[in-house]
Amino acid sequence: MKKRIVVIGGGPAGMQTALRLKARGMEPLIVEKEAETGGKLRGWHVLFPTFTPAGEVLAELRHRVREAGIETMTSAEVVSFTQHEVALADGRRLTADAVVLATGFTLFDARIKEEYGYGIYDNVVTSADIERMLDEGRVAKADGSRPKRIAFLHCVGSRDEKVCQQHCSRVCCITGVKQAIEMKRLFPEADVFNFYMDIRMFGPGYEELYREAQQRYNIHFVRGRISEASPTIDGGIQIKAEDTLTGRPLRMSVDLLVLLVGMRANDDNAALAAAAGLERAPSGFMAPRDPFLGNVRSNVGGIFYAGTVSAPKNIGETLNEAAAAADAAVDYLNA
Amino acid sequence: MNFYAPFCLPFILGAAAMFLTLLWKWGRWLYLLPHADKLRILRGLPTRATLDAVGEVISESLLHRRIFRINPLLGYMHMSLAFGWFLLIAVGWIETIAYLGFRYVPLQGHVFFKYFATNLPHKPAFELTMDLLLLFVLSGVALAWGKRLRSRAMGMRRTTKHVPGDRIALTALWFIFPARLIAESTTCALYGGGSFLTGSLGGWMAAHLGTMTLVGLETAAWWFYSSCLGIFFVALPFSRYMHIFTEIPLIFLRRYKLRSGEKESSFDRFQTEACSRCGICIDPCQLQSVLDIRDVQSVYFLRDRRYGSLRLQTADNCLMCGRCAERCPVDIDLNTLRLNARDTMRNVPDEKRYDYLKGLDRSSGSGKTGYFAGCMTLLTPRTMQAMARIFDAAGEEVWWADRDGGVCCGRPLKLAGETDSAHRMMRCNTELFRKHGIATLVTSCPICLKVFREDYALEGIEVLHHSEYILRLMRAGRLAPNRGTARFTYHDPCELGRGSGIYDEPRAVIEAIGELLEPAHTREDALCCGSSVANVAIDDGQQLRIARSVTAELERSGAEVIVTACPLCKKALGRGTRREVRDLAEIVSEALP
Repeated sequence: MKKRIVVIGGGPAGMQTALRLKARGMEPLIVEKEAETGGKLRGWHVLFPTFTPAGEVLAELRHRVREAGIETMTSAEVVSFTQHEVALADGRRLTADAVVLATGFTLFDARIKEEYGYGIYDNVVTSADIERMLDEGRVAKADGSRPKRIAFLHCVGSRDEKVCQQHCSRVCCITGVKQAIEMKRLFPEADVFNFYMDIRMFGPGYEELYREAQQRYNIHFVRGRISEASPTIDGGIQIKAEDTLTGRPLRMSVDLLVLLVGMRANDDNAALAAAAGLERAPSGFMAPRDPFLGNVRSNVGGIFYAGTVSAPKNIGETLNEAAAAADAAVDYLNA
Repeated sequence: MNFYAPFCLPFILGAAAMFLTLLWKWGRWLYLLPHADKLRILRGLPTRATLDAVGEVISESLLHRRIFRINPLLGYMHMSLAFGWFLLIAVGWIETIAYLGFRYVPLQGHVFFKYFATNLPHKPAFELTMDLLLLFVLSGVALAWGKRLRSRAMGMRRTTKHVPGDRIALTALWFIFPARLIAESTTCALYGGGSFLTGSLGGWMAAHLGTMTLVGLETAAWWFYSSCLGIFFVALPFSRYMHIFTEIPLIFLRRYKLRSGEKESSFDRFQTEACSRCGICIDPCQLQSVLDIRDVQSVYFLRDRRYGSLRLQTADNCLMCGRCAERCPVDIDLNTLRLNARDTMRNVPDEKRYDYLKGLDRSSGSGKTGYFAGCMTLLTPRTMQAMARIFDAAGEEVWWADRDGGVCCGRPLKLAGETDSAHRMMRCNTELFRKHGIATLVTSCPICLKVFREDYALEGIEVLHHSEYILRLMRAGRLAPNRGTARFTYHDPCELGRGSGIYDEPRAVIEAIGELLEPAHTREDALCCGSSVANVAIDDGQQLRIARSVTAELERSGAEVIVTACPLCKKALGRGTRREVRDLAEIVSEALP
C-alpha cells in the first residue's frame, strides 16, 4: 500500500512538495485552509527580477497538481498535528505516515507601525496593496489622480526590534526595486524614492535590476529610515527622515507612501509546535533540525518543513526546498 | 553606689563613638544645607509642623504603622524591636528614678541597672514590666531570625542582600537581647529578684549550677552583653542601622518642607541614610520580578550612593515607575534621588547642540486652548486624529502647538540626567506658549503633563491631561459620547497615576462609554508597561518581556479592549498583545454620535 503523507498548506511550497512526493510513488494529500490553493502567490502581480506574471507560475503549478491527480482538501484548517495524525478545525482527523508543514508566513500588519499612518491616512499603502492595484490595473491616489512623487519605505516590520521582528525578510528589498520600476513605467514623470537601511540584493539578477533602477529609471535611493508620516492639506503625505549619508534631517511631501511590509511567522506556529513537539526559532518561524544537512527536517522524526514556514524565502528557493523536503520524507519512510 | 565595672567599657566606648559620629554627621549635613533650607527650618520650628513631626516620629519610627499596612507580621517585628527597645530604655530610666530618686546616674548605670542594683529592695511591679518588655523585644528578634529562613511568611518574596558591615551589625543586634536575658538571669540566680522571665531562668540556674560557676558566668554574660552593645553602636552610624536615628531628623525636616530637587543637596543625605534596607522596595520592582535583575533596586541604589560606589549602570537601570516609592516605609523620595544622581553623573550640556531651537515655531491654528501632542503622540497619530475630532465635536478653537513637529517637552532629557539641556527645551516651549496667548494647555502625553506641571513656569495657563479635559467637556455637556456594550480594561500610566495622581478621570470617561473591568494591579499599585523613557539600560527584548507580563494581566480582566491614556504605554502594550490597545481619546472619538 502507498504511504500517505499529509502536506499542510497549499501554496507554492505545498503544491511542489506534493508533486515531488507523487513522482516518487507516495500518496500526498494537500490540506489548504483557504478556498483555493496558491497561497500568497495569488495576491502577487509579477515576480522579481524577471517580471514574470505570478499567475503564470501559479497556473502551471495548479495544472501539474491536477494532472498528477493529487488529492486536495480546501477550506480545511489544521488545528494540531503529530507525525501520525492531523486534526482539522471541523473535528475530522486524518491519519498520516508523515507530515510536511508548508504553512508559509504572515504579512506584517503595517497598522502596528502607527507612525506611518497606514489605515489612518489615504495614500499610505503597502507593497501587497500595490500588487493588488497592479493586478486590478488601477494604480492611483485615493482621489483617482496620478501620483507625482512616490516614496517606498523598506524594512517595515523587518529588522525592527520595536515591533519584535528582528529578522530580515530578505525579499522586500528587491520587491521595492521591482515595484519602483513598475511605478516609473506607469508614471514616467513621477519622482520615485526608496528609503532604506541597507539594500540586500542576494539573488541572481537582483543587483543588476537595482543598478538598472538607478541608471535607466532614475529612481532615487536614500539611506535612512522614515521616522513618521503625517497628512498634508492637499491629501498628500509628509514624511520625516534622515539622510544618513549626508547626516541631514529631511522632510518631503509625497503623493503615495508605499510600505514594504516584511514576512513574519504565523501566529498559529506556536500552538502547532507545542502539539507536535517542534522547536521554533526566536523569530517565531519553525526551526529546522540544523541549517545544513537537516534544513528541511524538523526535530521530530516524520515531520518536515517546506518553504517560508521556517524562514523568509523567495519563490525559487521555496520550490527547490519543497522538492528537498519531499525527498527527505520519502527517504524517511523508505528507511 | 558606684556605677562602674570593667565590663561596662565596651558599651561606654561604643556609645561614645556612636554619639560623636552622629553629632559630626548631622552637624555637617545641617551646616551644608542650602541657605533657603536653613531658613525653612527656622521658620518651621515654632509652628504646628514640629508637633506633627513628633506625632509622625512616634507612629513611624517607633510603631512603624506604614509597615503594618504592608504586612502585619512584618510590622510587628519592626515595632517590637524599635518600640520595645525604646520602652526598655524609657521604663529602665523610670525604674532607676523609682529606686534612687532624682540623682545623677551615669548612662551605663541605667543600662546595666540590674547588675548594680543587687543590694536594693525588689520592686516586683517594675521587674514584671521589664521582663514583659524584654519578652516583647525577644519575640521580634525571633521573628527576625525566622524572616531569614522564611521571608514569604512576612509577605516578602525577596529580601535585601547585605554588605559585610551590615551583617556584623545585624549579628550584634541579634545577640543583644538574648545576651541581656542571660546576663540578668545570672544576676537573679546569684542575688534573687527578677520576674517570670529573668527570675525563672535565674532560679533554674541557681538550682542546677554551683555558685562559683554562676559567678564566672555572670561576669562573662555581662561582658558579652556589653560587647554586643558596643559593637552594634560602633557599627551603627556606618551601617543600615543609621536609619534608626536619621529617620527622626528627616521627619522633622520634611515637615519643614525641605525637599530633594533636581540637583543633589545636603538634604539628600538625610534621605539616603534614613534607608533601613528593609528591602520592601524589591518585590514591587518589575525589573526584579520579570527580568530577574537583582542589583539596581532602590535599596541598592541608595546603599551605593551612600557609600560613594554608585555606578551609572545602576542609576540608569530604573523604570522610575514609582511602585517602590509607593511602598517605602520611610517615604523616601526615591525617584528624585535617582534623578539628581543621574544629573550629577551625566549633566554635561552640549552648548551648540540645541541652537536650532531658537525661534522654532511650527504651530498652527489659533484659540485660547492649546494642544501639545508631544513626540510620542506624533508617533501614534490615531490619538491625535481622535483629539482633532473631539475638539471639533466640542466646538473648541484650538491652537496646535506641534502638529507639524515641535520641540520636545524636555522630560526625557531630564529623566536621563541631562538637566540643563532639558531646561533649554522647557524655556523654548514656555516662550512658544506665552507667544500664542493660550489659557489652557491640553496634552495627551502624561510625560509632557508632568513636566509642564512641575518644571515649567506656566502661571496663568491651566495644564490639563486629555483625560481631565475630555471629562470636563462631558460634564459641561459639550461632548456626549454614546454608551455601548464594549468591555474595557484600563492600564494606569505611571506618569499619570503615581506621577500626577490622576486615576479617576480616565475611569469616569471609560465608564461613560462602556463597562470598565479592573486588572489585578490597579491605581497606586498598577504595573509599568516597561517601555519607560526613564530607563535607558534595558533592551527592547527586556521591555517586551515586561509588556507581555502586563498585557497578560490586563487580558485576564476579561475585557476585549485595553485602554490607556499614554502614547508610550499604548505602543508598549500593543506589542505585547494581539488584543486591541487604544488610547482614551480614540474610544471617546469613536463613541461620538
